[in-house]
Amino acid sequence: MIRGIRLSEGRFALLLVLPAFLGVLVVVLFPLLYSLWLSFTDVNVLRTSGPAIELFGVRVPLFRWVGLQNYIDVFADPLYWSSLVRTLYFVGAFVVEATLGGLGMALILSERFAGRPLMRSLLLIPWSLSRAVVGLLWIGILDFEFGAFNGLLYNLKVVDSPIAFFSDGFSALNVLVSVYAWNQAPFAALLFLAGIQAISVDLYSAAAVDGAGYWQRLRHLILPALRPTLFLVLVMATVNGFLMLDLIYVLTMGGPGHATKTMAWLGFETAFVFFKFGPGTAILYTLTAICLVLTVIYHRVIMARFEPTG
Amino acid sequence: MGTISRRNLLRSAALLGVSTVLGNGLQSVAHADKPITFSGWVFKPDTVKDYVNFYNQKFGGQVQYEPLTWVQYHPTMETRALGGDLVDVMYCVHNNRQRWYENGLIRALDDLPGADELKRKMTPANLESLKSKDGTKLLGLPYFTSLFTLIYNEPMLQQAGIPAPAKSWDELLEHCTKLKKDKLSDTPYLPNWSHGPSETMPQFMSDCFSEGAQVFDAQNRVIVDQEPGAARAMERWQKMYKAGLVNPEVLTKTSSTDVHRLFWTGRYAYHTNHSYYLKTIAAEPQNSRLAPRKAKLAMYPGTGTTYMWTDSYVVNAKTKALEDAWKLTRFLGGNLNGDWYVQRQWCLIAGLDNPYPEMYDHQDIIQSYDRWVDLKLLREQYKKGKVIAAYKEPWYAEYDTKALAVVHDIIRGGATVPRGLKQLTSLQKSLL
Repeated sequence: MIRGIRLSEGRFALLLVLPAFLGVLVVVLFPLLYSLWLSFTDVNVLRTSGPAIELFGVRVPLFRWVGLQNYIDVFADPLYWSSLVRTLYFVGAFVVEATLGGLGMALILSERFAGRPLMRSLLLIPWSLSRAVVGLLWIGILDFEFGAFNGLLYNLKVVDSPIAFFSDGFSALNVLVSVYAWNQAPFAALLFLAGIQAISVDLYSAAAVDGAGYWQRLRHLILPALRPTLFLVLVMATVNGFLMLDLIYVLTMGGPGHATKTMAWLGFETAFVFFKFGPGTAILYTLTAICLVLTVIYHRVIMARFEPTG
Repeated sequence: MGTISRRNLLRSAALLGVSTVLGNGLQSVAHADKPITFSGWVFKPDTVKDYVNFYNQKFGGQVQYEPLTWVQYHPTMETRALGGDLVDVMYCVHNNRQRWYENGLIRALDDLPGADELKRKMTPANLESLKSKDGTKLLGLPYFTSLFTLIYNEPMLQQAGIPAPAKSWDELLEHCTKLKKDKLSDTPYLPNWSHGPSETMPQFMSDCFSEGAQVFDAQNRVIVDQEPGAARAMERWQKMYKAGLVNPEVLTKTSSTDVHRLFWTGRYAYHTNHSYYLKTIAAEPQNSRLAPRKAKLAMYPGTGTTYMWTDSYVVNAKTKALEDAWKLTRFLGGNLNGDWYVQRQWCLIAGLDNPYPEMYDHQDIIQSYDRWVDLKLLREQYKKGKVIAAYKEPWYAEYDTKALAVVHDIIRGGATVPRGLKQLTSLQKSLL
């Protein structure tokens, strides 16, 4: 028992938070700041000579400072801008599909019907699959040569020859959007479902007394109550959409041509295929900046007039 | 059963510790002085483990083998080097060797015992491929060599009344048109137009070479916009794509491996891809409908010249066990055992070729190849293999990846052939 040490409540709280804060500092903040630093340097990971700092016995090279040059080079590349446009389309379509899909599923699953518990369990399967498996699964469904969906259409005589879903760039991009929404919408549904269940039964009773029908309840009770959840879903879907890489890897590798090359893919390719870690991190930091701006906008638009229902 | 007292437990633990230390100590007497590490990308890792075990037993080695995924292999090795991790012997693809050498990750092998003899035994083109950009240093020993080949589906051609495979590209186009018209195949031609560093662009170079065109000049500048043969190749690709003679989704296949598996179905007449894929197509009845030997090799059309490359084993420049690392490298990429043990294993198991012609006089190699390919014809095809030096340039990886999108654009008709070829030239200039 320690006697004689008296801490204020604030300091005691700080003491309790300190281990977690140190953990975050080491595993989140340091990599974040170091990668930000890399975006302003000329990085060649094989040239380890030059200035460095030493952290816990590990030599961390600082590389050559080039200021904004990486960002200037990145912004001068037309491929960056075409990837940005493609990314914005991808994220926009994905956020809409995942959010509406998730909300629709949550509304259905909040109703009482036979088999609802089973349906709620099955709902999570697409979300719990690894993205590599999701990609392979959808190749099996949509492939030109052996896809089950093409086989079905052909056997039903709906088509004369198989549909090449990935041959056209725009079609391939939309397939990516839909497959990713299929994978992510269940999680949105789970969040919406939790939000719906948190609405007080009294409010439903009051709405019933006022003679509100289903659509009126949805418009004036459920949707306003789901605003914080909607904010969370939108932020998560947007960030996930911007960062999505693995499905592109399994399904299209950014092709045909550059047609499915998003900014995340461009950053990955620049850093890990061309070994240009400076411009690669610069690309990915512009992505981070866009995500932050969108999060602030979402917060202003969705949460501005929000008042807790409780 | 007796109880376990604290005293018994401590005594047992102490005995176990002593025996472990002694065991290791005794074992090390029979082994090499220092353990060495060996990393490679994942391809038949069990086979690699087997020959590493063989090496450890036969030569008293202490080799620790570690396979890494193919996609992240080279970046991983570089970042590990950055973190101070030292891997003594590594796989390295041809277009990373010069970069690793220039940055001091790997060392030249010329001064090591037995290197000169191995150089003499290699075919000159492969030796050139393994050398540094200035041609003075040997940077690795061969893991395998390969080149683009033409494979055909014999039963399908017979069914169509086509007596022999195409000898020219015009003939191949004619055959494919007939096969589609006769409804024997929806998409008779399967080129390797997929994404990745060993796919569309090597296929592009192969077809340019087969049309008598050069892709790079002596200074490694892209010159395809001045080469009529390159334009002919691209016009043919555009025509075949537009006519629906090619599976359109081949453009988004993620690897050569994925593409060659499509040929297993027996629904294509012609396929162009790396030489070793014919082994799974023609010799694996459990996978392929074209086994045994229904798929065959034909000489590449036109001039017959195709793109050839050599991937390698390299030695870390900072290895602290150079003698052992070199011994292992010679075992892997040379002939330490006197029977080309590892090189032979790859030939027999995976159809991976090597640049030592004398290997192909071995009876077991001849018999093994006879199950899936006309070895004589394959060796003739190798005589037409062409290596380039451009991949030793620092801009090559970026050019190769970005050029792929331009070529895909030409294929899909998004760019005219002259415009697309000019784009390739200006792309390379922009990276200098």
